[in-house]
Amino acid sequence: MVRIIAKNISKYFKKGRVIALDKINLIIENGERFGILGPSGAGKTTLMRIIAGLEVPSEGELYFDDKLVAKDGKLIVPPEDRRIGMVFQTWALYPNLTAYENIAFPLTNTKISKEEIRKRVEEIAKILDITHVLNHYPRELSGGQQQRVALARALVKNPSLLLLDEPFSNLDARMRDSARALVKEVQSRLGVTLLIVSHDPADIFAIADRVGVLVKGKLVQVGPPEEIYNKPISIEVASLIGEINEIEGKVTKEGIIIGSFKIPVNINTDKAVIGIRPEDIKISKEPIKEEEWILIGKGRVKVIGYQGGLFRITVSPLDSEEEIATYLDHPIKAGEEILVYVKKGSIKIFT
Amino acid sequence: MKKGTIILVIPTAIFSAVLLYLVIWNAVISFTNWSLLNPKISFVGLQTYFSVVRTFQFSNSILHSLELSASLVAIGNILGILFAGLLYFLSSNKARSVFLSIIIYPLAISMAVNALIWLWLFNINIGIDWLLVRIGLPQFPWLSSTSTMFPSLILVSIWAYTGIAALFYLAGFMNIDKSVIEAARLDGASAFKILYKLLIPNSFNSFIIATALLFLFSFRIFSLPYILSGGPTNIFLQTAVVYMYYLFTVEFFSQATAVATIITVIASVIIIPYALIIIRRWIRK
Amino acid sequence: MRPVVKASLHYLALAIVSILWLIPVYAMIVNGFKSNLEVLSSPVLSPPTSLSLTAYITVFNALAKPLVNSLIVVIPTSFISAFLGAMGAYFFYTLSYSFSKLSSVISDVLFSLIALATFIPYQATLIPLTRLIVSMGILDTYIGIIFAMLIFYIPTGALLMSMFVSVIPRSLIEAAKVDGTGDLKIFMKIVFPLSMPGFISTLIFIIIQSWNNFFIPLILVTTPNMRLVSVAVQSYTGGYGTLYNDTFAAAMLASVIPLAIFIFLGRYFIRGLIALGGGGKGV
Repeated sequence: MVRIIAKNISKYFKKGRVIALDKINLIIENGERFGILGPSGAGKTTLMRIIAGLEVPSEGELYFDDKLVAKDGKLIVPPEDRRIGMVFQTWALYPNLTAYENIAFPLTNTKISKEEIRKRVEEIAKILDITHVLNHYPRELSGGQQQRVALARALVKNPSLLLLDEPFSNLDARMRDSARALVKEVQSRLGVTLLIVSHDPADIFAIADRVGVLVKGKLVQVGPPEEIYNKPISIEVASLIGEINEIEGKVTKEGIIIGSFKIPVNINTDKAVIGIRPEDIKISKEPIKEEEWILIGKGRVKVIGYQGGLFRITVSPLDSEEEIATYLDHPIKAGEEILVYVKKGSIKIFT
Repeated sequence: MKKGTIILVIPTAIFSAVLLYLVIWNAVISFTNWSLLNPKISFVGLQTYFSVVRTFQFSNSILHSLELSASLVAIGNILGILFAGLLYFLSSNKARSVFLSIIIYPLAISMAVNALIWLWLFNINIGIDWLLVRIGLPQFPWLSSTSTMFPSLILVSIWAYTGIAALFYLAGFMNIDKSVIEAARLDGASAFKILYKLLIPNSFNSFIIATALLFLFSFRIFSLPYILSGGPTNIFLQTAVVYMYYLFTVEFFSQATAVATIITVIASVIIIPYALIIIRRWIRK
Repeated sequence: MRPVVKASLHYLALAIVSILWLIPVYAMIVNGFKSNLEVLSSPVLSPPTSLSLTAYITVFNALAKPLVNSLIVVIPTSFISAFLGAMGAYFFYTLSYSFSKLSSVISDVLFSLIALATFIPYQATLIPLTRLIVSMGILDTYIGIIFAMLIFYIPTGALLMSMFVSVIPRSLIEAAKVDGTGDLKIFMKIVFPLSMPGFISTLIFIIIQSWNNFFIPLILVTTPNMRLVSVAVQSYTGGYGTLYNDTFAAAMLASVIPLAIFIFLGRYFIRGLIALGGGGKGV
């Protein structure tokens, strides 16, 4: 239960030639679930490692509550003294120790008695439903079990901060939902401050109360996930948190014209970059009567794919190679001409 | 730094410090004139060095050391590559390790013991010469002629140390992406061509390591010349290290330490950059 | 060239090299079983006409004490060097991810020192070493020989183990740090167990090196009772008038232990050699 404050944190590598983090200012509140979203190489893991104490900021200050823990290239409080629990991307379980010994390991570094250790390990194992594998070695466990052991090891010492570094990327897609729910439940039970780093927006939506988007080392937007989703400040942010169709074109009196599409926009500039999410696009053979759907023109079905129970349809305007994507609950023939609609008020303008 | 961390390095640091002390002590004494003739030590600056360097035995022994090292490096590398090639193209892993063990086993035997055996093998009547004569080849003088003594020493060193070079080249070969070799095979390349065009050009690392190690091992060879000549006095087999020991036995201590310091400096010139390269590549990734 | 011909040439080349390389050990084995007369008169390379064990019997009596002496010296030296060296190697590992300039200077200096200790012609330290051992009052003692060997073999152990420790995944060490573990405990509970194969390689390498070490026992032992086998063998050199078949039997006895280790645990020795060249990965 700790409040993390990052003040102007920058991190340079290779003698300043690589800027991994650029003046990050961030406050993570006590007990908050905070996510850091960004493409790989954006610096998310670097930021997490600085908070963990495995790296130091080249410039800037890091506070845990009101205690200064790192400043300007100096490590003031080392990781072993920061009361944090961390789940590494590869879980980093000690291969020569059983699951029980792995979980008990942080407690053996304190003065807690053996009986008390056993009690706490069994308690956390029960919460995470791994009691039956405690006597096994990590290599004998499934991915999901290993991850829960790693989580148990992080939580057993009652940390004030829990750090998760892409914790679900090594799991099967099927396991990820239950893993996410588990993490959220455990966190709310223990009230520990949570920081999760991921490139997968599903993790952020499932777990985070607030999310900071990190692009090329800069924190470009911070807010609740829905806000980032609906009001992204750039096309890049928009594409990080969900799928979006990016359209660039000249602005005329009738809007942006691409082939047979006329996309109504109200902008004063000559050129514009706009984004429309697939769920804000609808295609249909017959005209749609609902007012919220605005017709932008005739299009042709290009490619049909299948993703997550829905058909992903790529559509082009007539006489143009530009493509936009949307989803349908039924398949449609490639080459068919259809009418394309856009939801009112859903066009995001970035220029 | 925490106490628990420092403890880790204390034994290593202590013994390394002792070594440093020994090296420095050598250097200090080399600036004096301590010897059988001068039991009372006084500092003479570089005088001892000048007098030692001018002796015939010094230049002779240094030359021998350099000759030995150069020969071992050159021949060791060439034979090492050839042997590694022979081993690389074996299809059976078991055969490979058997043959590799055969060329490396000399390292498992004491060099003093090796010297003893070769002393016998070099006997012109009942040693190797017996077999040579039987085949019709001339009797080779080996250790009984001053011109062939040193080459005999080189021969034994090659027998003992080529295995190291072969090992590193083999390791290097096996690290090369197999699919490239297989593609070449499919293109009809012969083993020689693969060796010449693919394996050797990619073996620069192995070359560096093999050369450094061959040089260092050859430089410190002592028991071989010592036993082959029955003592440190035979100038035809005297290497720098043996000469240094000789000076010690005749109690010319300051000269001995001067030679020792020179030896240490030459060795350090190879060792220290090599160590720094290792630490940068393998430990501080 | 037809494949069968090629393969035969290949094996022929390997056979020739093997025979050449095996000649000395063949001579060593074969001549130990000859009677003295036969050794003097028959070629070194020919097998004995009748097996005679007199050489071995005589030599074994004479070498029994040196063999024991060698065991007493080599076993502690190798275990201590490998273990303490491993600790030092982990220390280097911790330095490699520390943040200060000072620590990279320290690690450079210390690492150069241990490399120097490993590769230096140790004969060059003859005079100060003898003087040191004498002044410590441990000349002609087991402790003295062990101490002198440790000066060179602990750094050797540290150098070799540095290679093996460096391949342990950094995330395991970091996880242990986050778990609040001190470095000494990290070494004992995680690093040392996980580097066990490397430890065994280092151990084997140092056992063989220290057993065969000729120079240090040569200069640090003056009483015949304390001689190690590597030096005792030297008393069987040629020189007119000494016994000859004993030479080979002595050589064999002195080499039995390192050769046996090499034959059965050779792959560890080879891994140690490769680590010496600075490449512990993928062996």
